[in-house]
Amino acid sequence: MNPQPSITPLFERHRTAGANLGDFGGYRMPLWYPAGMRQEHRAVILAAGLFDTSHMAMLTVAGTGARRLLQQTFTKDLDRVGPTARPLADGRCVYGAFCDSRGHLIDDAVVYRRGEDDYFVVVNAAMGPPVADHLAGQAPAASVSVVDMTDRVAKLDLQGPAAARILGPLLAAPQAVFQRLPYFAFKGHFDPRHPHADTVRLDDGTPVLLSRTGYTGEFGFEIFIAPEGAAGLWDRLMDIGADAGLLPCGLAVRDALRTGALLPLSHQDIGDWPFIHHPWSFALPYGPDGRSFTKQFVGSAALIQTAAHAAHTLAFVGRDQRKVAAGPGSRVLDTPGRPIGTVLTCATDTAIGWVNGQVLSLASPQRPPDFDPKGLSCGFVRVEGPLAPGTRLNLDDGRRRIDVMVVDDIRPDRTARRPMEQMLG
Amino acid sequence: MKEIEALQLPEDLRYAADHEWLRPGDPARIGISDYAQDQLGDIVFVELPAVGRRLERGEEFGTVESVKAVSSLYMPVGGEVVAVNTGLEAAPEKVNADPYGDGWMVEVKVTDPAQIEALMDRAAYFKSLAG
Repeated sequence: MNPQPSITPLFERHRTAGANLGDFGGYRMPLWYPAGMRQEHRAVILAAGLFDTSHMAMLTVAGTGARRLLQQTFTKDLDRVGPTARPLADGRCVYGAFCDSRGHLIDDAVVYRRGEDDYFVVVNAAMGPPVADHLAGQAPAASVSVVDMTDRVAKLDLQGPAAARILGPLLAAPQAVFQRLPYFAFKGHFDPRHPHADTVRLDDGTPVLLSRTGYTGEFGFEIFIAPEGAAGLWDRLMDIGADAGLLPCGLAVRDALRTGALLPLSHQDIGDWPFIHHPWSFALPYGPDGRSFTKQFVGSAALIQTAAHAAHTLAFVGRDQRKVAAGPGSRVLDTPGRPIGTVLTCATDTAIGWVNGQVLSLASPQRPPDFDPKGLSCGFVRVEGPLAPGTRLNLDDGRRRIDVMVVDDIRPDRTARRPMEQMLG
Repeated sequence: MKEIEALQLPEDLRYAADHEWLRPGDPARIGISDYAQDQLGDIVFVELPAVGRRLERGEEFGTVESVKAVSSLYMPVGGEVVAVNTGLEAAPEKVNADPYGDGWMVEVKVTDPAQIEALMDRAAYFKSLAG
């Protein structure tokens, strides 16, 4: 990693907006803007937020051997995707991970199928080179090319229920673009020379790759665009979104939103340990028996072998907003007080609160009229064995001890999967 | 992030290197500076000591929790806690909105007034922030 942090094409926007800045993944990034994290969180749940996620790394994997290489290295079975177990189609993407031969995580990723021999792989900040090296090491060089596109693409995430209403007026053909664009579908291309570039253009002609995905659990888009167009798009979205309550958002609220949405942070909630027994089992190619895999991939044999002994990662939610410091210094204690693991993530989702024994969100239809939550701590723990939802645990960081409960979901009534028609009205 | 010049740093206060402020008096009032609240971001919880506790200079008197992290609060002077701002329990965001007013934290009976003199005045604190 460079000792001097890199900046994204939107850095000047963040600086002039008065964002608090911090270093993440080798980039100088906004942590929050003057409105503050609580308002940013509220905006994404109830209106929309705009995130600069250009720090993320992206690869193209192309050639006649591309599909075979991904089948051999990616944890998701590209021949069996979704509830109907169909092959991944053009214009669709899937979440999964790359593991080493021990079944330990290298990084998680979203793989986009642009064509039979043409895939786009989005990985985490600074992970372009290690993932590219890993793939190159597994590939017969003649039939597949792996190219790191990170510095050639910028990415803006527009997330929240108002996202389509804000973006629509900036698209050349919004109706056609939003038609048949379910969760984990995408259209278009950021490279003007690509045959798909005509599918999604801004009204000024700029081509973008528009993906109905994100890292907040809320409805919205990830917009991939050539770096020179990023600042112009940011300005126009902020301008047109102002009336709808759009706020620029930083990495701090992104972390709280993704935690509440039960999404893992790579190298924190999943990492250099077996990629198994976690809330993201859909990323593994389990067959109908729920134990064996439908394909072999790098690490699969080790995962099957270690399954009986490997630790379990579980989600939790706390009684109030108080957190502990996660990491190696933290301990998870069972009710008798025995240490059984460590805390991976502990964040405060400021949109949720307990109401009559149930967690409700600002977006829950059944919330009381005066519902004004202070937030709840939530996150992930890694413990020695499975625990049923409802199990009470104590988390201790040496300074504070909090009482939490194992859960199978955190923030209710998320909007990510809502039908597009509902969100355009 | 506020520019250093945009920070509110009242003249009548004394400041500690850990970014607490103290308003001299009997009792003396203590809180955290505009710089500290700006760096922490939205504050979601403030933990304060019991009234009657005696604390040494530099001793932890509580924690302030932002969405980002939990940070310790340190006594800028030694003394006995004679009042705490109970309003922060229900409205910790007051620390962000009004760090020198409604966002005050504790009042202490100062053991050794010379410790107040040892704190920074506005000019020195500003200089330490401008680095």
